Amino acid sequence: MSPYVTTILTLSLFIGTCLTIFSEHWFTAWMGLEINTLAIIPTTPKNPRATEAATKYFLTQSTASMVMMFAIIYNAWSTNQWTLMQLSDNWASIAMTLALAIKLGLAPFHFWVPEVTQGIPLLTGMILLTWQKLAPTAILFQIAPHLNMKILIMLAILSTLVGGWGGLNQTHLRKILAYSSIAHMGWMIIIVQINPTLTILSLTIYIMATLTMFLTLNLSNVTKIKSLGGLWNKSATTTIIILLTLLSLGGLPPLTGFMPKWLILQELINNNNIMTATLMALSALLNLFFYMRLIYASSLTMFPSTNNSKMQWYDNPTQITMLIPTTTVISSLLLPLTPLFITLS
Amino acid sequence: MLKILTSTFMLIPLTWYSKKPWLWLNTTMHSFIISIWSLTLLYHDSDLGYNYNNYFSLDSLSGPLLILSCWLLPLMIMASQNHLAHEPLVRKKIYLTTLIILQLSLIMAFTASELIMFYILFETTLIPTLIIITRWGSQNERLNAGLYFLFYTLMGSLPLLVALLYLHNNLGSLHMLTMTLVAPTLDSSMSTSLLWYACMMAFMVKMPLYGLHLWLPKAHVEAPIAGSMVLAAILLKLGGYGIMRITAFTEPFTSTLCYPFMILSLWGMIMTSSICLRQTDLKSLIAYSSVSHMGLVIIAALMQSPMGFMGATVLMVAHGLTSSMLFCLANTNYERTHSRTLILTRGLQMILPLMCAWWLLASLANLAQPPSINLLGELLVIMTSFSWSNFSLILLGTNTVITAVYSLYMLITSQRGKFTDHIYPIKPTLTREHMLMTLHLLPLLIISTCPKFILGVTY
Repeated sequence: MSPYVTTILTLSLFIGTCLTIFSEHWFTAWMGLEINTLAIIPTTPKNPRATEAATKYFLTQSTASMVMMFAIIYNAWSTNQWTLMQLSDNWASIAMTLALAIKLGLAPFHFWVPEVTQGIPLLTGMILLTWQKLAPTAILFQIAPHLNMKILIMLAILSTLVGGWGGLNQTHLRKILAYSSIAHMGWMIIIVQINPTLTILSLTIYIMATLTMFLTLNLSNVTKIKSLGGLWNKSATTTIIILLTLLSLGGLPPLTGFMPKWLILQELINNNNIMTATLMALSALLNLFFYMRLIYASSLTMFPSTNNSKMQWYDNPTQITMLIPTTTVISSLLLPLTPLFITLS
Repeated sequence: MLKILTSTFMLIPLTWYSKKPWLWLNTTMHSFIISIWSLTLLYHDSDLGYNYNNYFSLDSLSGPLLILSCWLLPLMIMASQNHLAHEPLVRKKIYLTTLIILQLSLIMAFTASELIMFYILFETTLIPTLIIITRWGSQNERLNAGLYFLFYTLMGSLPLLVALLYLHNNLGSLHMLTMTLVAPTLDSSMSTSLLWYACMMAFMVKMPLYGLHLWLPKAHVEAPIAGSMVLAAILLKLGGYGIMRITAFTEPFTSTLCYPFMILSLWGMIMTSSICLRQTDLKSLIAYSSVSHMGLVIIAALMQSPMGFMGATVLMVAHGLTSSMLFCLANTNYERTHSRTLILTRGLQMILPLMCAWWLLASLANLAQPPSINLLGELLVIMTSFSWSNFSLILLGTNTVITAVYSLYMLITSQRGKFTDHIYPIKPTLTREHMLMTLHLLPLLIISTCPKFILGVTY
């Protein structure tokens, strides 16, 4: 694509999210989300699968925006004001929660996430699963006191279970990362009413780890488990990065990914949601299972591959790997800084 | 604490900067120096032990286990030299780094004084062990073994996390010294039972308890020698250590809620000992023998009596050394014939007589021959179990007999009789292997002369 078009689209993406985060009036928040949706659609390539993915994305996000507009107008009619933080009408907050759930890809509105993520290239998928979550989460953070815990629990438990079970039968890495996104969004949404800062913390750590995964996979353009098998030869450090990042996403101590799970479980238990906490903790193990499968395929075994791919004589790295070491370190070594994040909340 | 943590951490730059001829010597020598220093931790001038700072403390229970894990690192490194001999240098260094990271997490786990820190380090030990088992094991089954190991332990330990966070909310602090002063206000309801079981499950899976032991034969058999050694000697003891720490404050309920675990342990000891008699795989035999001995430790730890804690501690240290030694011996067989089948390596007394001496001493230690500390542990456990229930004496006595039977079976099959023809041209025993066995056995015999160091907190 022409650099002018890319610049405009990137700028629009950035501006859209910033508009939503910094807005106080509901209309500008809604506008920012729409700008985000529209800006990412043209970045998809022109093959039929990508077209289908873009269409599904557009339709679901538009439906969500319309439900959101309904909630906004209902709230304006019922409470006579348009302030973002004061979504005080109950029906409006329920409708807004469901709209944001569709936008974020929470179960039972998760069906679009795997198919859309699969149809688009790795880097676009990365933007979809990381940047596009920022604006809806910012809105959730701000309307947190008015949310309905029952709906949040339903969304969260369904998401973690669906994200876990759904990813078990996948071999395409983008779909696996999509189901991982569904599960992690479940973790983020359950704590948003009790301690919204933990939602932001969880989102940040999830974004760091997902960024690492996508950027690392993009280095060798790996999109299937079969292609992971040849990574040990092309760049063995990639396999170690994948190992650390996936174990962190799975929530194993002493990696950073354990921190949000630990803090979220602590907040849930302090608020007497002990069964919810246990159920979510155990459903994270489902995610860990298919991460382990990826780890086995890439670093811990020599996956079946052709003999040609075992001979690597030409080792000339041409890709820019600038961000990967930073995000790897952030997504695996930050657990001792937990007291810092607790005091910030 | 920093004396031991920094020096162990510095082993990592040591491995990466060592040149090829010096790698094994450097790491073995320096980890040995650390372990010799750690012996000074055996001296306690007060019953409460050392309290280094808010996060690390050491007392008569964690001291011996810490020393055991420090002692085992040079032994693991020595034992791994053969199967890593043909690997490229970088992979050898990665293996050693994984072992050292495991050692660091074990040191911190045994000295952690706050329970959530202990939990985090307990889980931290999983990742290096998983890497060692799955990456450096030799058979296809190692993949399954790694998965079983990881998921059994995690299924048990996630409820433990929830329970610890609940207790933290309830009590305000999970520091082990503070908790002895603040008793939780628990009533005898279903939720307290669930809390107790949630606390115990992680350690029961780790020990392992008989019904939850399925991961252990897989993991022990498929792991390379260092993995087997560390699993058998230390990681299982994390479970026992955890039980002894956590039962300190779940006080009035343990006596009623422990029944299922007691029953499973008592029955399971006999079952796993009996299955040892039918094992064809030598490492599998030693693995099931570990389950059986750990059943004794579970019984002793759940008894909550002074003698029980003494017996549990002694048995943990003794079993650590014995089981690790047996795995090393099995590994010497494996290195020569690349087979773990017991009947394929018979009559070794004719060919490797000095190794037969080590086999004899290890088997005698395994069957709790006096005056070894294994006997001391088993006797204390039998005494305490008899004080709980007279009938358990029959079960424990049966277990002792069957233990003796399979230990002697293992000894006689591998050492006595006519050797098989295909093992005739095997290499003689290396000095390194003799050194390994000596270093396992010498502490065992020396501690037998003065066992008060490892009798734990209730001596």
